[in-house]
Amino acid sequence: MPKISVKIDDKDLEVEVGTTVLDVCRANDIDIPTMCHLKGLVDVGACRLCLVEVEGTSKLLPSCTTKVQANQVIHTQTDKLKKYRRMITELFFAERNHVCSVCIANGNCELQDLGYKVGMENVRFPYLFQNCEVDSSHSKFVMDHNRCIMCTRCVRVCSDVEGAHNWGIMNRGYQVRIIADFNVPWGDSTTCTYCGKCVDVCPTGALWNKDATQGSMQKYPQAVSDLVEKREMKS
Amino acid sequence: MDKHLPPNTIMISPVTRIEGHAKITIMLDDASQVKDAQFHVNEFRGFEKFCEGRYFTEMPAITPRICGICPVSHSVASAKACEMIMGITVPYTGNLLRRMIHLGQHISSHALSFFHLSSPDFILGWDSDPVKRNILGVAEKFPDLARRGIRLRKFGQELSERVTGKKIHIMGIVPGGMSFPLTAENRQALLDWVPEAIETTQMGIDLIKKYHQEHHQEVSTFANFPSMYLGTVGPQGEMELYDGKLRFIEADGTIAADQVDPKFYLDYIAERVIPWSYLKYPYYKPHGYERGFYRVGPLARLNVASKMKTPIAQKEFEQFKAIGQGQPVHGTFYFHYARLIELMQAVEECKTILEDSQVTQSKTQVTGRHNYWEGIGCSEAPRGTLFHHYKTDASGKLVNINLLIATGQNNPAMNRSVLEVAKQYIKGKDIKEGVLNRVEAAIRCYDPCLSCSTHAIGQMPLLIEVRDHQGGLLNAIQRG
Ligand code: SF4
Ligand code: SF4
Ligand code: FES
Repeated sequence: MPKISVKIDDKDLEVEVGTTVLDVCRANDIDIPTMCHLKGLVDVGACRLCLVEVEGTSKLLPSCTTKVQANQVIHTQTDKLKKYRRMITELFFAERNHVCSVCIANGNCELQDLGYKVGMENVRFPYLFQNCEVDSSHSKFVMDHNRCIMCTRCVRVCSDVEGAHNWGIMNRGYQVRIIADFNVPWGDSTTCTYCGKCVDVCPTGALWNKDATQGSMQKYPQAVSDLVEKREMKS
Repeated sequence: MDKHLPPNTIMISPVTRIEGHAKITIMLDDASQVKDAQFHVNEFRGFEKFCEGRYFTEMPAITPRICGICPVSHSVASAKACEMIMGITVPYTGNLLRRMIHLGQHISSHALSFFHLSSPDFILGWDSDPVKRNILGVAEKFPDLARRGIRLRKFGQELSERVTGKKIHIMGIVPGGMSFPLTAENRQALLDWVPEAIETTQMGIDLIKKYHQEHHQEVSTFANFPSMYLGTVGPQGEMELYDGKLRFIEADGTIAADQVDPKFYLDYIAERVIPWSYLKYPYYKPHGYERGFYRVGPLARLNVASKMKTPIAQKEFEQFKAIGQGQPVHGTFYFHYARLIELMQAVEECKTILEDSQVTQSKTQVTGRHNYWEGIGCSEAPRGTLFHHYKTDASGKLVNINLLIATGQNNPAMNRSVLEVAKQYIKGKDIKEGVLNRVEAAIRCYDPCLSCSTHAIGQMPLLIEVRDHQGGLLNAIQRG
């Protein structure tokens, strides 16, 4: 692969053409928060946490879906970006109902970690207090829409890695919801294979195992990344 | 005096040194004699309502948040209710650890209640400077005692921390058992602490007995009135703090119902909603509302029990029983003594558990699934018998939750105690701080935790209504 030069946060780097800004940063110990991104899944740029500033462009660009171009000068840690990251995090919390103290994912949650990371001490936006459903119709898993942040990792892992296409998306705006099949209770889905990959990749307490309890619910998003990598190596 | 109240009403608010907030209204008649007293509860948390729609296995993690001093009792009652829904039995070691953590909570809660909240009254005197009548005042005069009280509380917390790694809102008590085992090292550390805990408890017992002797008249007459009692007992009628069957006794001590499985509690307990309090008014159903008035908690547990489970506690128990001369001990002041005797049994029982060779085994949990639609769990919280009752839909989501909490069950008795004390100590409008403190003290005997017992939602406006003895509205006061 041909190489190009870019400058990220004052570091001069030689990188392969076609690499995303995020991958370059991760490879060079530049820390950018992400939520919808998961190695092994197709990036969709849904959460906007990974935004970066590129000199010469007035728009902020999501690093997970933006490929590096020759001689770009990129900033990843400006005050403006930090402000937006914190704001986005607060909006996640304000949109649905996150009560960490009683949540199954408490202590094992990427969203909670993000809150600490961006220094969220309080939420400055009014909570929507949406009346979201808890779907416990599946014999093995629970889907709690109260804690879903619409990262769509579950949708992508189900269609692209498992090939089952159980999960989909319905509605728009704050009424957007993850649905099973054509909006049936998960337990009635005819496509779900009970593989549990969606539970493993879900960054929050939205998807969980029925026999888990607070403290014992561990997610393994890395398992999916590893699986995809091994499959790619084989082919 | 509150300017919104009519001239013949005395209001004491807030009751200091109890968990949560409360107001007491004392009504005087035209001759300035106490006519009636009501203990108002105006805290409001609505747990039963907002748990609806949650998956049932989440409850042992949610309900400990109801209360910062008895989280373990909620977790235990909740896990038991879940286990009934799943139809599973907790493994031996899991049950041992749960029992130990539960006893640990009794130890820290009772130590808090006695050494921090109540001992200032006995040690420094009812009529001492209110600014100093607290644990700091005790620490100033009796530093060793205060330090020991604090350490005893810590020991109780340590019993759960050494298993779960978390002191207050414990994780680890789960449907099917415990999610953490106890290491040999932690077991030893706890065992090493036991002798000191026994010694401190004994100091507390000696203190209260000395006070009983010196203030015999006051102690024996303080809010002394007959009532029924409810507590949990083992198969031989021994006092139980964790698991067992229910026993109700009549005011004269005869057994009204014995070895009742907690899952039939609704056959024995009914609840009445009253207009001026957020607390529900439970009563012994077979006797009806008027006669079925009962108490729970340390005094009740000792009154219903035939014996204690451990030797030192048994010795004290015999002295306690002697006070009643064959009858239950009705004097509200004896709650403190009863609490300390329980504390002794809890410490001694922890020792027995820690000495059990299976306590460090690793099999602490079994799993299960949603098999039945309804579950009832019960535990003896520090303040009395606690019930969790869940109904689920076909997918395991909660559709109905009933939490019957100790302070709620003691609520009628608390009112009664306040009235008794008010009648005895308040004559006319001229009221001194020390007298007011005795009225508050009557409430503190029950060690009420008001936040957790006020859990019925949406039944009344957010106002406190002041009524006369016939139920007529005298005035309404804004909460706050
Ligand atoms: S999903 Fe994460 S952030 Fe949301 S309540 Fe649960 S632990 Fe907290
Ligand atoms: S359920 Fe989990 S993985 Fe799926 S969109 Fe919601 S937060 Fe993301
Ligand atoms: S991680 Fe890039 S937009 Fe979500």
